[in-house]
Amino acid sequence: MGRTTIQFIVLWVVLVLVQAIFSKIMLFDVATPIVFIYLLLRLPIGLSYNIGFTVAFITGLTIDMYNNTQGMNALSSLLISSIRTKVFYTFVTRDDETVHIIPSIKSVGTGNYLKYAGSLTFIYCLLVFFIQAFTFHNVPLTLMRIVCSFALSLVLIYAIDSLVNTRREKR
Amino acid sequence: MNNLLQFIIKHIHWFVFLIYMVVSCILLFRSNPYQQSVYLSSANSVASTVFEGYSAVTSYFGLKSANEEMQQQNTALLLEVAQLKKQLRNYQLQIPDTTGILAKSEQEYSFVVANVISNSVSQPANFITIDRGSLDGIMPEMGVVGHDGVVGIVNVVGKHTARIISLINPYTRLSCKVKKNDKFGTLIWNGEDYRYATLIELPRDGKYAKGDSVVTSGYSSLFPEGIMVGIIEGEDKAMSSNFMAMKVKLSTNFSQLKNVSAIHNKMKVELKALESKDNNPNGAKPKEEKK
Repeated sequence: MGRTTIQFIVLWVVLVLVQAIFSKIMLFDVATPIVFIYLLLRLPIGLSYNIGFTVAFITGLTIDMYNNTQGMNALSSLLISSIRTKVFYTFVTRDDETVHIIPSIKSVGTGNYLKYAGSLTFIYCLLVFFIQAFTFHNVPLTLMRIVCSFALSLVLIYAIDSLVNTRREKR
Repeated sequence: MNNLLQFIIKHIHWFVFLIYMVVSCILLFRSNPYQQSVYLSSANSVASTVFEGYSAVTSYFGLKSANEEMQQQNTALLLEVAQLKKQLRNYQLQIPDTTGILAKSEQEYSFVVANVISNSVSQPANFITIDRGSLDGIMPEMGVVGHDGVVGIVNVVGKHTARIISLINPYTRLSCKVKKNDKFGTLIWNGEDYRYATLIELPRDGKYAKGDSVVTSGYSSLFPEGIMVGIIEGEDKAMSSNFMAMKVKLSTNFSQLKNVSAIHNKMKVELKALESKDNNPNGAKPKEEKK
């Protein structure tokens, strides 16, 4: 338990720093890579809601601080963490083993993980870009940004998950 | 009572959720960026340390183009200085009293030069973080200019860093004029393209053409008169009504911003005092009566 927590904290620091720089990027004016939600996806399924919400809120608020988007990422992260378990069990059958599982490609399989990560990432992009844009009326551009950012982020999340798990196997 | 307590304990996570959600919404829907706390912005010490490190690494990449740009600008400034000196000498010959005029007007403003450590152009509301703060003389509501023109207005100030509301932020409203005919308008940004802004509330009796320069009006105490803002691109028909609206190509390239200068107006305190007296003409009287 202790080791997992320390690993998570290290991953948290690294991904938040990476996100601080990634947020400045907008590829072809449409795609922003969102990688820090990997942290929220990675939280154990059986984790208590209180801890889950707190981690999501603090993570979102930290990203907001770097981006000067007060409350936007905090709110979206919080909503993601509240539906996370439900989304997970839509794709994975609930049994005794899955209660304490950490969602990853290794633990649930590539297909299931991509469905789980994909739906949450898509909902996240939808939330963030619509909160961001609700005073403006350029809906086609917003939709384009949602789809492109979602695709880019999902690829990166898949890559990060592969990387994190390979490293673990080596140890 | 017991049942209520049990209910709360059983569903405590939803109360936690609600509290976080309310806090996020309060932060999100507080519309005025000037009221923000320095701790929640990119000007706080944690964020600025990260951005300073990042900028220390990346600032080397654009050095060649930055150098060329500076050289060009230097040449232009040298030429201008030479020309102005010549003009001044001519005027001094004509009217002996003008010796002090230019010197006095120049002293009204001083500059603090700063490096941009974080910047965005793709958000609907863009901010810039610089590596100078209150200890270097930066204060809220100072105007900020770059090599090519106006950049924004300082709003949150930390000890060593400050955050600027960029010109490409919907909260910024800048009083500008068309240089050619001195017609005034307000520059706003519509949130779409970081290269263009819109000059609204222009009187219809003026003639405006593509390529006309738009400069600061000098009506606010933030910017001196005549600092370059952009060039008129054409009429913005969607925004025109009783007044005209012009699409303006901004002279500052926000995607490649490296060095900026914050303008300190030495007359600002006096101007503010005067303005507050104007707003409250009776305000000064009771004090005098006490005396």
